[in-house]
Amino acid sequence: MAEAFAVAVEGVRKKFGGLHALDGVTLRVRTGEIYGLLGPNGAGKTTLIRAIVGLVAPDAGEVTVLGRRMPDVDNLRNVGYMTQAAALYPGLSVEENLKFFAAVYGVDEGVDEALRLVELYDRRGSVVATLSGGMRQRCSLACALVHKPKLLLLDEPTVGVDPQLRVQFWEEFRKMAAAGTTIIVSSHVMDEAERCQRLGLIQYGKLLAEGTPNEVRASAGTNNLEEAFLRLAGSGVPS
Amino acid sequence: MSAHRVAAITRRLLQQFRRDRRTLALLFVAPIVILGLLGYLIRGSSSAPAVGIANEDQGPLGAMFASALEQSSLISASAIQASDGDAKLKDGSLVGYIVFPSDFSSRAQAGTIAPEVHLEGSQPGTSGPVLQALQQALSSVAAGGPGAGLHFVPQIHYLYGGRGFDTLDYFGAAFIGLVVFFLVFIITIVAFLNERSQGTLERLMATPLRRGEIVLGYMLGFTVLALVQAAEVLVFSLAVLKVHNQGNVVLIFGLEALMALSAVNLGIFLSMFARTEFQAVQFIPLVIVPQVLLSGILFPVSTEPRPLQAVSNVLPLTYAVNGLRDVMIKGADLTWASLQLDAGVVAGFCALVIIAGVLTLRRRIA
Repeated sequence: MAEAFAVAVEGVRKKFGGLHALDGVTLRVRTGEIYGLLGPNGAGKTTLIRAIVGLVAPDAGEVTVLGRRMPDVDNLRNVGYMTQAAALYPGLSVEENLKFFAAVYGVDEGVDEALRLVELYDRRGSVVATLSGGMRQRCSLACALVHKPKLLLLDEPTVGVDPQLRVQFWEEFRKMAAAGTTIIVSSHVMDEAERCQRLGLIQYGKLLAEGTPNEVRASAGTNNLEEAFLRLAGSGVPS
Repeated sequence: MSAHRVAAITRRLLQQFRRDRRTLALLFVAPIVILGLLGYLIRGSSSAPAVGIANEDQGPLGAMFASALEQSSLISASAIQASDGDAKLKDGSLVGYIVFPSDFSSRAQAGTIAPEVHLEGSQPGTSGPVLQALQQALSSVAAGGPGAGLHFVPQIHYLYGGRGFDTLDYFGAAFIGLVVFFLVFIITIVAFLNERSQGTLERLMATPLRRGEIVLGYMLGFTVLALVQAAEVLVFSLAVLKVHNQGNVVLIFGLEALMALSAVNLGIFLSMFARTEFQAVQFIPLVIVPQVLLSGILFPVSTEPRPLQAVSNVLPLTYAVNGLRDVMIKGADLTWASLQLDAGVVAGFCALVIIAGVLTLRRRIA
């Protein structure tokens, strides 16, 4: 059933110059699950997320998001995308940034709610340029979910966020997933991988392994996810 | 102070530039281009200003002056009818004409040399040679004839401007447009690059926003700023600097607004070809300076070497400058064919860069 999947990626290839950023990736993400994309730097995680959101046109294969073939600009109102670097307007206040993205997504409400969620309500008047890295990251997350998307794409959302807040972030992700939001989150931090319902291991633009954290561990024959990742990654080196 | 550490900085700097071919090209190519262009403009100047001679003198002196003027290298003289003179000034085929009236010889006998000099007047640079040529003709005629005791009192008439018309009046009209065009271009290109470099453009592309909406939104935002600036520049020029204005203020503002709109969209378009603000600023010597040199702001297009005239005639800034001067100096309105052409070209250019901006944005993102 296609409906059960929020995202379906079928044999997607993308070449940048001589580099195969994506080399035939096929994966499906179920509605309401937290799917972790794991892989070293340069493995193709960001390119895959950009392909899902329609910013990268695949050379081959196709991407379907919420039942619609991408790229589809109108479908993006159901998608939230948090880029790797906190992409914000440094000259605007936190609240002004959020109001801008809310307006772009065509919603009038949700700004205060999103601000409370990332605990920036008290700093809503602060100009982004004056915020710390972690606060910017929180503001960036708020901008990605201000319109209550059905699919949330998070590209390494917890980089620069302190452990305490990271726990809160993940709690929030879990609540949103429970409420039906599908979340795809990329990371190279293994303890975050444990919190995902399913994982996809990516290296050299290929999906090396997929499954729950337990399944991944089992397939590598180890009890440690980090070790599992290293073993599986080792087998994926192109000749 | 450690020579080692200083050398490290110097070496690093040169290493950086070695990889930045674009900056190197700018550093070594741009000065040659700009100076070469300037040299060619000034030295290669094709034509002496065209001056008409109407000899109505009943005595012999007018003909002597006329032949002396025809031999002058300062101007390119040709015989005309005095009655055609003003029409030829208006259509731009002459920068001035000299009439030797019927009583020219007889008044000369009384000691007064009084030719009528009619000047177009809107271009101070071209009036000088006419009077100089006349002086030379006087001294060559006087050397072979009566000689001393003559009063040289040319009767000078201006079609546009006048005696009180100074260099600022001439340049002011063009600079009103240029200042707005230049500043708006810089601000837009840098702001749009910021959007790119801070990652927000990527983010916008992942929202339901369409490319056209982004360009239009940018255009409107900057246009608001640009129009306020244009109004400020205009009021300052007219009220404080008292730049000569013969034309309709609304028309001047309209032309300025078209230039500002073009500058916004040129900025958006060219930002696609720069990755950093530094590279954006490099567009100034490459895009802006040659346009300023060739647009007729400093050197009238009609006196440029022929090949450069061809370039000038395809640069939109040339038409904008010409249009502003026609309105402010000559009092042109939209019934003038030349102003219709100027406004049409600027509007056309504006439409072109809007389309180019939207198209390159789409190509660049995909």
